[in-house]
Formats: sequence, structure tokens, C-alpha cells
Amino acid sequence: MADNLNTGRLQMTDETFRLLRDFIYEHSGIFFPDNKKPQLENRLSLRIKANNLPDFEKYYYMLKYDPQSPREIRALFDSVTTNETSFFRSPPQIQAFQEKALPEILQRKAGEGDKTLRLWSAGCSTGDEPYTLGMVALEVLGGAADGWDVKIFASDISEKALKSARAAVYNEYTLRSVPPEIKEKYFVPEDSQYRVCDDVRMLVEFQYMNFNDEKRVKLMQGLDVVFCRNVLIYFDDAARKRFVSQLYDNLNPGGYLFIGHSESLHNISRAFKLVHFPGALGYKKE
Amino acid sequence: MEKLILKAIEHLEDLPTLPSVAIEMMSLSRSPDVSIRAVSECIHKDPPLAAKVLKMANSVFYRRGSQEIDTLHRAVLLMGLNEIINITTSVSVLSALGSRKAQETAIRKNFWDHCVATALIARRIDTRLRMNLQGREFVGGLLHDIGKIILDEYFHDQFMRSRELSAETDRPLFEAEEEILGTTHMEVGHFIAQKWGLPPYIIDVALYHHHPEQAQFKDICSVVSIADLLAKAREISCDVDIPPFVLKDQQGWHILKKMGHRMDLVDIERLTFEIEDIGREVKEYLSAVMDQDGGESTNG
Repeated sequence: MADNLNTGRLQMTDETFRLLRDFIYEHSGIFFPDNKKPQLENRLSLRIKANNLPDFEKYYYMLKYDPQSPREIRALFDSVTTNETSFFRSPPQIQAFQEKALPEILQRKAGEGDKTLRLWSAGCSTGDEPYTLGMVALEVLGGAADGWDVKIFASDISEKALKSARAAVYNEYTLRSVPPEIKEKYFVPEDSQYRVCDDVRMLVEFQYMNFNDEKRVKLMQGLDVVFCRNVLIYFDDAARKRFVSQLYDNLNPGGYLFIGHSESLHNISRAFKLVHFPGALGYKKE
Repeated sequence: MEKLILKAIEHLEDLPTLPSVAIEMMSLSRSPDVSIRAVSECIHKDPPLAAKVLKMANSVFYRRGSQEIDTLHRAVLLMGLNEIINITTSVSVLSALGSRKAQETAIRKNFWDHCVATALIARRIDTRLRMNLQGREFVGGLLHDIGKIILDEYFHDQFMRSRELSAETDRPLFEAEEEILGTTHMEVGHFIAQKWGLPPYIIDVALYHHHPEQAQFKDICSVVSIADLLAKAREISCDVDIPPFVLKDQQGWHILKKMGHRMDLVDIERLTFEIEDIGREVKEYLSAVMDQDGGESTNG
């Protein structure tokens, strides 16, 4: 205890770490391996301060037994997820989607007389990704956009991130990878910031979703493309396998899954065909 | 269409030639009782070539251990005959073709970047699958597209049109070449490799790197065909458009699998991530082999 006072930083015992880790895993699928203990300490210490608690043990009991805990659990999710994102993040992936995957899907569906396009930004954080997908879809469809029924589902486990996503106002920094003509076309300057234009906002539907909620995830049927970037890193292998297998079922045949730039499904799923695009990988459901 | 262009190439009088030492080295390599001394003496007959071989032997790509290799004798001793022959072949072909006119154009630069990337990736695949191709996968990768250099040099306009046609119609480059030139870079590469008396496996790679199932050296051609695609996926290529591909559906992949290599265990994602930085390695290799100081003069 003396150490805690000296460093001014709260520490958790190994026992409490395990209790909290298991609690978070059980409720969200997000897994903190032993080496991430300092990260968890760091992030949860803010929740402890906010709730005026003396230590991690008390916080655990609050989560577990307090009738107010559902509210706190959502705040907990806000603090254990990272919301690092930006528009047109990982340009080669967006380019693969824009120039190869999406035209291929649109051509096939148009041939089948099916003019619906369903995308899912799974783990959308502050909305940069689903809005990017909306802009790209409008660019690829061009004049034909009116004939198509385009919907982009966007979900996250952080309420805070979703709130900011719905507001759709961004600073210059998150727009750093946006090509100038796209910026001109789809953003409206607002004070020193930028708001996503209504044509794009109309396409995107935000919703709170916990990927551990299998029934909820199962409802996301008939998708053409899923972007699920830098989400799997939060899960352990069992949760990854479960979730990816569900994503496979959710996709239409011919649909694509894009995961984070340096993420891999090698030990997670053999169901997809791994497609090499210039500078990016995609996973196709045959 | 008749193979008019191929005929025309056969009669070209200013086709680049290989340094005589390289040719001598290759025939030496086929004799059963070749000595280290014979090999190092042979390379010594061409001092600029000898200097380059030594430089390559000391580069990050070949160097083993910390000791500087200061004589060819020592290089052959430490690296083995195969590796020295590989280096000599690479350096000779690169100096015969690499420093000709128009080398500064973007296409030529991308061309050599692509060849070196293919060679480096082929070597990684050889290591990963423990194939023990002894550097032939590297030289094969380096030289698989030599036909393109000849086409670009002597039939530049038609070659450029083939590239455009290929991009416009989403067809492989060799189909567009067949339509516009009446031949392909594979046939031209095959011709020049034969004319130069390059080893049979290089002749094979030049002709069959897009169709490894027809090759005699199926293992080398398959590895080069896969490396070729992976280099393109890194956008290290002089092609206008790079179509997506599924590695597991490729001829070369199936051949290696049939040969007993455990392809299902290959972590393709990891292999792909590992070559993300291949562009830097390519630059290092080219700056080692394209001697800035006196390289151009060897061609004069």
C-alpha cells in the first residue's frame, strides 16, 4: 500500500486483475492478456476516480453487484476501447474497396437485378470509417447512385464514440488522408471544423453493438462488405473465431471482409478466400 | 499471325551480349571437377566484374559472418560455387542490359525494381519451404522478364501499346503482346536466354513463368511465378494495372502442393506482411549491383 501512495498511481493485485479481466471478457469478448495489465490499470483508474472509489477491488464489486452497474459497464467499455481512427485510413485498403471489390460487387448485383448495397462498419468508433465508405460508394456509383439502395450500418461498443459519430463534425487532423476533391465535395466547413454532408450522413445508420452479443450480431444479415478493422485485436482466439465465423455467415456470397492493415485470419478462419489487392488483403466469401 | 517480331529479333545485330567471362563461368559450372582456383581465375579476367562480384559477396544479401571477404578465392570458398555462379550471372546480365539507353525512364526503373523484388521474394519462399534451390530461384526471379527489356528497347511503341491494351481490356500483358507484337515477352526472353547460352533453368523460367505447369524446372518456375505475383501485389511492377489474385488458386501453388510441399501450413498473411518493406531491400540490392563508379563503362 505504501508503494501506491508513493507513486501516486493505483495498482491492482494479480487477483483483482484476473477478476476484472474475466468480467470484461465475459461482457464484451475484449480480452486483456497478462502483459496488458498496466494498460488496464491505466484506463480503469479514470473510472475509479469518476466513481470516487479507493481501489480496483471496490470497482470490481461495484460492477458486479451495484444495481447501477449497467450504466457503469458502458462507461467501462468507453474506457477500454481505443478510438484511434481517421478518414480514408489505410489508403490501399480503401483503394482496393473502391477500385476492385466494390465495382465487382455492383456489377454482379446489377446483373442479378439486385440493386441493394449493404455495408457494415463493425467497430466504427467516431464514424470516420462508415462515412468514408459512404463517400467511396457515392464516388463509384456516380450518376447511377439514385437507382441504388445503399445502406451503411455502423456499430460500436463505445456510446461516447457513437455520440461523436452521429454529430459528424471533425477536425482537420482526422481529414489528413482525404483527397482534396473529396473534401470539397462531401464536407461542409463549420467554424474551424468540417461536417460530413447530408448526402453521406443519410446513408449511415449508427447503432450500439456489443460483439459478444451473438444474437445481435446474427441479425446483421445480407451484407456485401464488412469492414472490421482493428477490432479482433481486442479479443482472444476463441472470441475471434466465433465472431469471424458469424461475419462469414452474415456476408452474401461474393462479399468481402476487410480487417486491419496488419491483422490476419490465418489461425482464425479457413472459410474465406484470401485475395491479394495492390497493397492490401481482403477476405472473400465464395 | 506469324512470329515476325521474333524473326526480326533473331536478325538484330546490336543485341546486347553477355560478358565472355560470364559465358565461360557458366560452362565451367557444368564441368564435374571444377576447382576454386579455376573459377576465381576466370572471374579475374574481367576486373570490373570481379570487383562487382566481391562487392556483392560483401553486401547484406550474401555476407555471412562479420569478416570482410577480400579475395575471390575466399568468396568462392566461403559462399560455395553455386552462389558465386549465381552472383556472376546476375551481375553480368544486369550490366549487359541494365545500363543501356533510356534506363532512367520510369518503366525501366520499375522493371529492375520488379525483377529484384521477385528474386528476393523467391528466395524467401525457397527458405520458407526449405526447397534448397540453391540460389537458382533468385537468379530465375531476377531474369524472368528479360524479354520485356528487349521488347522495350527495340519495339518500344508496340510494347507500350501492349501494356495499354492489357490495362484497358483487363487481360494479361502476354495476351496483349501476342495481339500487337505477334509474340510475347516470354518467347523473346526464351530466345535471348538461349542465344546467350544461359543455364537451362533460366531459359525455362523466361518461357514458363506464367505457365509453370508446362515447365521442365517446375519447382523453380512455380516459386518465381508466385514471387512475381507477390511483387506485383506490393505494387513493385511496371504493369499499368495490377489485378487482384488468390494465391491458393495459382498454378504454381498447386504444383508445389503436388510436389509434397506443405502449402496449407504456409501463413500467407505473414509472408505478405514480411515483404511489405521489400522496396527498401530492392534499393539496397540495386545500389550494390549497379556500380555507380565504373559500372557504365563495362558496357561501352
